[in-house]
Amino acid sequence: MAASDTIARWRYRIVPDHLVGEILTKRWVDNAIPFAILLIVIGVFGSLIPDFFGAASISNLSRQWGEFSLIVLALTIVMVAGGIDLSVGSVFALGNIVALGLLSVAGWPVPAVIAATLACGAAVGLVNGLLVGYLRLRAFLTTLVTLIIVRAVVDMLLLKYSVAIAAVYPDSDVWYYLGEGYVLGVPFSVVVAVTLAIVLHLFLSRSRAGWHVLAVGGSRRSAHNVGIPVRRVICSTYVVSGTLAALAGALFASRLGGAGADTGIGLEIAALTAAVLGGNSLGGGRGSAAKAVIGSVIVMIMVNSLVRLGVTSGANSLLLGAVLLLAVAIDVRWLKNRHKFLSKVYVSPTYSELPAAPATSGASAYALNDRLRSVEAIGLDRIDGPEDVILDEDDNIYVGNRTGDIVRFLAPDYVRQEVFAHTGGRPLGMAFARDGALLVCIGGMGLYRIGRDGTVAKLTDETNRSWLSIIDDSRLRLADDLDIAPDGRVFFSEATVRYEMHEWPVDCLESRGNGRIICYDPNTGSTRTVLKNLVFPNGICMTHDGQSFLFAETWACRVSRYWFDGPKRGTVEIVIPDLPGYPDNINRASDGSYWLALVGIRTPSLDLALKMPGFRKRMARRIAPDEWMYPNINTGCVVRFDETGRVIETLWDSGGENHPMITSMREHKGHLYIGGILNNRVGRLKLDGMDPEWTGQSSYWSQS
Amino acid sequence: MIGLLSRTFDNLLGRGEAAVTVPPLDGALRPNRLLDTARSRMPLPDVDCLAFHDSVLVASAGSDIHAALPDGRWMLRRTYGSPVVCIASVGPDGLAVALDSGYVVIEGGPFDGRRYRVDPAIRCITAIAATSDALYLANGSATNDAGEWQRDLLERNASGSVWRIDLGSGAGTRIASGLAWPCGIAPEGNGLVVSEAWRHRLVRLDAGGTVDRVMLADLPGYPGRLSPAADGWWLSLFAPRSQLVEFVLREPVYRRRMMAEVAQPFWVAPKLRSGRSYYEPLQGGGVKHLGLLKPWAPTMSFGLCARLDRAFQPRVSLQSRADGATHGVTSVIEHDGEIIVAARGDGVVARIPLSDVKGDAA
Repeated sequence: MAASDTIARWRYRIVPDHLVGEILTKRWVDNAIPFAILLIVIGVFGSLIPDFFGAASISNLSRQWGEFSLIVLALTIVMVAGGIDLSVGSVFALGNIVALGLLSVAGWPVPAVIAATLACGAAVGLVNGLLVGYLRLRAFLTTLVTLIIVRAVVDMLLLKYSVAIAAVYPDSDVWYYLGEGYVLGVPFSVVVAVTLAIVLHLFLSRSRAGWHVLAVGGSRRSAHNVGIPVRRVICSTYVVSGTLAALAGALFASRLGGAGADTGIGLEIAALTAAVLGGNSLGGGRGSAAKAVIGSVIVMIMVNSLVRLGVTSGANSLLLGAVLLLAVAIDVRWLKNRHKFLSKVYVSPTYSELPAAPATSGASAYALNDRLRSVEAIGLDRIDGPEDVILDEDDNIYVGNRTGDIVRFLAPDYVRQEVFAHTGGRPLGMAFARDGALLVCIGGMGLYRIGRDGTVAKLTDETNRSWLSIIDDSRLRLADDLDIAPDGRVFFSEATVRYEMHEWPVDCLESRGNGRIICYDPNTGSTRTVLKNLVFPNGICMTHDGQSFLFAETWACRVSRYWFDGPKRGTVEIVIPDLPGYPDNINRASDGSYWLALVGIRTPSLDLALKMPGFRKRMARRIAPDEWMYPNINTGCVVRFDETGRVIETLWDSGGENHPMITSMREHKGHLYIGGILNNRVGRLKLDGMDPEWTGQSSYWSQS
Repeated sequence: MIGLLSRTFDNLLGRGEAAVTVPPLDGALRPNRLLDTARSRMPLPDVDCLAFHDSVLVASAGSDIHAALPDGRWMLRRTYGSPVVCIASVGPDGLAVALDSGYVVIEGGPFDGRRYRVDPAIRCITAIAATSDALYLANGSATNDAGEWQRDLLERNASGSVWRIDLGSGAGTRIASGLAWPCGIAPEGNGLVVSEAWRHRLVRLDAGGTVDRVMLADLPGYPGRLSPAADGWWLSLFAPRSQLVEFVLREPVYRRRMMAEVAQPFWVAPKLRSGRSYYEPLQGGGVKHLGLLKPWAPTMSFGLCARLDRAFQPRVSLQSRADGATHGVTSVIEHDGEIIVAARGDGVVARIPLSDVKGDAA
């Protein structure tokens, strides 16, 4: 067994399985399949066609791509907003003939020609936009009609002016520069296309207007309900589309200088194929400039290469159609199954071998007893999930609850309760600052400060992002417990960066170091991660030396000590390596020792499963979450230990009847107050032999 | 070859044989609390098997046979040298008592005092049924004894057998073998219906002992003893199937290590009573919220018995859910308008008037 354990340990240490799930949560993973197709296309045609990678071939191809990709970008904008623009091919032809006509026949200067051409395209786009956006006609039919009408206009113009255009040879270097010039060795049209792609990328990903476009495409009704001017957004996408298509036409005109009847015919199909193949969803809401670029490169290479291979034009179209069909099928299947796949692979357990659990019977310091039998219940059935408990100098009890309130039970009898503050998240660990303000770790939100008057203020909700992390770990997902150093710095734990608040026990199935400890410095307002890769760091408690704190790692079943100041600064020492259960909050006891809550007891079957990551991975895939093997968090206890790690006493409720589920405890004036994250009460236990005057505030703030 | 391929494929995707689905409690087996709400509950620790002997209710518990007193208490009637694994009425005044040692002893009636030991291979008697001239024995496993049923399940054995003992001559013959923990017998016509626990089904053996029909398949629990009802049969299902156990059954390495490294009470395995120790495995839905265990929580033990019609189809069920107190039903008998249920997991015998169990729930 030892050999297989060793192999498993190394296997899971070397291979970072969890990255698969994290990559799949990223939006850019949608580009993976198109990118793979791109590589295949380059590989196949690169080997079939001699001199494919030659300078002339690349230059020629890229110049055509510059024009084509503008069309694809145009179509992408419309598709992202949930529409479709079939008229791009015709507008392209219109742009071509208008530019040539104005330049050659009317003799306008080049800047005016470009401006007029773009205006012409925008006008067609505006017609589309008014019809589709404001009159809410079907995009497909409307743009199909525009396609035909504009094509007819182009044919009429051709009939009238084509001879004149062919007769005049425009004498303008600027004009030819558009079609044949280079910027630093790169064809001008490519520079234009890349610039516009970057602009579009920034627009869609970084600008308010871009988010409006995506929102409209994702769900038109929701976008309307949140106040986005849906009609205007849709209309403007068609205007942009028309403008871009006309720009492509102008570039084309400059490059070839001729107007033919077949200009831009079938271009809309090629552009559509490129857009969809790149991964832009036909349904809207999902698309990017990168996808458009990848798709257009693929289609450009395919079409051109087939021509160069001597394939007839009919077969060429056939292939294009087949590729479009395939792309649409992949689009639909991917969209439908991605989340299913993600939910199956996201939980990625790793090897975790816990030290042998000490006994909970006989002479063990953890031996079972009934000392919690006499716990009295405060607020029974009137409080939902008090994770942490704290008392102020007037003996009032503060607890968080599941619905995001900080509830205050009023001394002396704790019968009356009131909502002290509403936070909106899931209040977890709490501590009083020197000035009497309550600092709270709020799951799903971050570190917050609640003033004596109940005003809620954010201290921090983000930390420095790690460079090599795939998921964005700068945001705080599950701030758990905190304590305050004598100089005011707040150290708090974030239990896991991979799961949200309500899924916290699932992190146990992974038992990876997903958590960290973060320091917020109120003097500078900065937030820094101080310790990483901790296994569900939970309770934090300052030691009495003012230079270090104790912290519990729940799924690792250990308590460690970290020095943030002094000669041992930066070191971590394990204080208790082998707890019989899962440690939660730690707090000071009146005699200089520490209270520790064990939220659950280790079960031998799960301890074994922790050494078999493959077993847990298959379990997460095969059976429903409600049926997963969980850490046994139905029974807990309270442990008191000192700085050397010696366990002094253990308080149990053997049947788990009187006080089920313990996640925290707080000593105050000779009593112990007990909280539980899934409990419906606050427990209160009279302590024998403990200082009846001692309070946490005096311990923290009075001597200094 | 194709079989191997499809098995590999199933294993990869969790389909077919590798699927861990468990049928829902539905139809006649829709959840109820009838076992917990029984008005008459007679505690008897480790009660296992029930029978009527001379019109008196008797129950086996450990090495003892107890008799019920009219006031609802139990009186010790007899203690044997080894644990009693099963009892059954032989005629109106006889009682067959099967012992862990493999002996079957007859108390009372025309065969009073006879001791039978058919074959040294019989070490795991799980059920007895008597006809006028013969006893039928179910031998759960060839390698494990009756108390080791969890191990037998986790080893995925199918080594059980069914035997016939001629009451007069004492001659024993093996009728069938290769059964997956047979633990209930109902003589029906010229054959026998046997509950095959690890295959979650009832099968009919013909006179020659071959399985000629599957009477009831894909049960949501492990079927145990069968006893005659006024119009059909009673079936006790002693433990629930669960997705987690089904999954563990398909994980040979984990199973092997668990049986070697983990103490038996804390295995991931069905139980007669679960949730007594914090060392037992807990499942996601079993986490207590606001101090309550949900009745629908996934559980390793429950209470369930069902009345089957003459065609062995379930009609009515009596249940105790995850948060109930009548788990591990090992024996049910119907007598004089009353249903008597032995819940071994909770050590209690519940008596429910037949009139409380209304009609056909199906």
